[in-house]
Amino acid sequence: MSTPGPVAPLVLSLSGVSKAFGAVQALQDVSFDCRAGEVHALVGENGSGKSTLLGIASGFVVPDGGTIEIGGRRRRRGSPAEARRLGLGIAYQAYSHVLDLSVAENLYLAAAPAQRPKHGRMEGWASATLGEFGLDLRSGAAVGSLSLAQRQLLEVVKALLGRPKVLLLDEPTTALGPEDVARLHALVLEESRGGVGVVYVSHRLPEVLGIADRVTVLRDGVGQGTYEAAAMSEGSLVALMIGRPLQLAFPSRAEPGAEREIRLAVSGLRGERFGPVDLDVAKGEILGLAGAEGNGQVQFLRALAGVERAAVGKATCDGGELDTSSPLRPLRAGVVLLSGDRVRESLFPVLSVRANATIQVLSRLVRLGVISRRRESSRIDELVRRLRIRMASIEQPVQSLSGGNQQKVSLTRPFLRGDVKVILAEEPTQGVDVAARFDIYDALRAKAKEGVAMIVKSSDPLELAGLCDRVVVMSRGRIVEELRGNELDERRIVEAIVGSGAAREARRGAGDAQPA
Amino acid sequence: MRLVGFRGWLPLALMATLIVALGGYATAREGAFLTNYNIGNLLLTTMPLALVSLGQTSALLVGGFDISVAALMTMCVVTASFTMTPATSTLGLVPGAVALVGVGLATGVFNAILILVLRLPSIIATLGTLSVLEGASLALRPAPEGTINEGAVTTLTSGFSFVPYAFVGVIVLAVLADAWLYRTRSGLALRAVGLDATSSRRLGMATGRTVFLAFAVCSVMAAIAGLYLATEVQIGSPIIGNYALESIAAAVLGGASLAGGKGSFVGALLAALFLTEIDNVLPLFQQPTEYAQMTIGALILLALVLYQAPELVARFRSGWLGVGRLRTREAQAPTA
Repeated sequence: MSTPGPVAPLVLSLSGVSKAFGAVQALQDVSFDCRAGEVHALVGENGSGKSTLLGIASGFVVPDGGTIEIGGRRRRRGSPAEARRLGLGIAYQAYSHVLDLSVAENLYLAAAPAQRPKHGRMEGWASATLGEFGLDLRSGAAVGSLSLAQRQLLEVVKALLGRPKVLLLDEPTTALGPEDVARLHALVLEESRGGVGVVYVSHRLPEVLGIADRVTVLRDGVGQGTYEAAAMSEGSLVALMIGRPLQLAFPSRAEPGAEREIRLAVSGLRGERFGPVDLDVAKGEILGLAGAEGNGQVQFLRALAGVERAAVGKATCDGGELDTSSPLRPLRAGVVLLSGDRVRESLFPVLSVRANATIQVLSRLVRLGVISRRRESSRIDELVRRLRIRMASIEQPVQSLSGGNQQKVSLTRPFLRGDVKVILAEEPTQGVDVAARFDIYDALRAKAKEGVAMIVKSSDPLELAGLCDRVVVMSRGRIVEELRGNELDERRIVEAIVGSGAAREARRGAGDAQPA
Repeated sequence: MRLVGFRGWLPLALMATLIVALGGYATAREGAFLTNYNIGNLLLTTMPLALVSLGQTSALLVGGFDISVAALMTMCVVTASFTMTPATSTLGLVPGAVALVGVGLATGVFNAILILVLRLPSIIATLGTLSVLEGASLALRPAPEGTINEGAVTTLTSGFSFVPYAFVGVIVLAVLADAWLYRTRSGLALRAVGLDATSSRRLGMATGRTVFLAFAVCSVMAAIAGLYLATEVQIGSPIIGNYALESIAAAVLGGASLAGGKGSFVGALLAALFLTEIDNVLPLFQQPTEYAQMTIGALILLALVLYQAPELVARFRSGWLGVGRLRTREAQAPTA
């Protein structure tokens, strides 16, 4: 760890920055700075505004208010090109690679004009550059053919190519095994000793505390203060990250003691971003799926629903093999996915509530080839009351409803089908206001009590703690920890996600097997 | 160093083979094909399509389409019937021709504004421009009228023996353009923008300026194509053929990807020559030109399948074995 002197100049300074996306206030009056030669970590839960803050610093996101200085110079227009000119290098969480181009071409495009050789000498220069950073890659290989870990390391090298004054790393270790993390950290510390200011964003608190000089905490878009890393513990950071007194009444759980009847069993399921995963869910059980974003939870859930392919492994539902080669087959077998991207993947925004609710079960409402409006309406009216969907009429287009009510409309589908066996819910309450959340929890629990097995993927630890019977935590595509009974509290889940104790031990074994 | 990857050569090789094969077949069957007169004529009639296809390739490279080129070419023919009349002095012909390029540049800037500022998809934006220009042409020349200056026609179509100078110029232009595209940093940047605009922006590239230039170049090339079209029809006609689809066809047959980022100017030129050759050969055999349409359509489908064969094979395999390639949002590379 480097110790910046008291006179180290600021290489990045954001003051009073705000940004709203539609009705969501992503950042509110946040100030953040980074001195030359220090590693300044930025931590917060999913959706706390970390990526937005980096986006603003790098010029990719235009803030609603506030000022940004890079290398002591005030930034005028917000553009990534200008930020780079002023001396900012950034490794994006989602990368900045052009997958169809080669490693050499990608490096060449990322290099500042001064470092760039003639086009004809690109290959040799790229090989030399890769060697300099200790990256063992063929410069002629297409970036699309690299493993995710290789792409992540290449992204960091690209950020360093311009010899930046300030280096922004957004979740730079999500695809890396422990050895690569150590290599990356060595590289980062070397840069900071050379006078580069490093902004390090990560979910993994042990990593953060291991490398950072200072830590700034964000919660719900508001800064919670900046601290000397040496004075902080994982526990104190977690407390700052969640810091919510909110405790509302969740629906009561299923009575324990009853015989566990396995409904969904998964063994050795593996895909590009996850696996191998083994788990089972019993009738009436709600299993929570936790983890930092991008650790394979979404891909796993979608593979089970047949929306994405799993490479190998097996899943059974009520003892029969579940065919996940297309979305239609799990659906026919009674496995229903509630997509997190409601508007794009699940609802037809311009169609009415009625049409959206009954679209999967029309054949049951048909008489002589014509949809019976009376049957349709009577079924829906009952559900609207039960789910407390707030709207003027069932003929209203779904897009005119609030987010919470839209989510409830997509929830009507499994209720209209009598034969649902498994519900896979992806962020069931994302963008939903508090009152509607509890309506949704009640509805999900009611469905579970009918015997449905449920997996709920959520980035909200409070939700997982209150709703689920059991929670598994995924990291780098694998289940690293399982929490049940008394362990189900918000703090315990957050600790598991950010990698305390047992989870870290488990990950040490699992991390190097990242499927490529 | 390689100029284009192995698969980049495939369209060029295919087009060259087809040109030679069709020419050989025509020569064997009909003596009138391989004559100085006919070949010279073939090269000249290729000019408009060749020029507009080079322009279309530039729009396709940044991931766009330019449908308006057809109406722009017509507009240029109509404009030429005003600015390059038989009464125009030899010195006045130069500004007359420059006026056409001006019309092209203005159209290109207009399209780019629609796409970049109003954020319209290029196919819709240029469809609007197409309609506006078509209407304007009809308003200026409700019926074919106004002959084009004969001296200008003679100069533009002159050549060495049977080879028009202009055709040599187009070859040089296409070769230089490909060398630029695959051997310079700015060419690489253009392809990067077409392949992945978000990543390019993250890398600090001026993606907006790149798209702007690509559409300006496309329209200017279409305007010059319009000038050569004027030497062909020699009258201010407001209704002329479907160069929008033909230019896209030529660019795609020449190796351009509809998803952007891949393409070859030389390939587009060869494809334009081949498409014109089909039109040229059929009358020699007393075949109706409808067959040409059907042949071209079938060829485009064939080319699209052939050029992306590796992707198709991979998809086929994963479909059968259920393993191997995984389709995630990130892994879905754009393919034409």
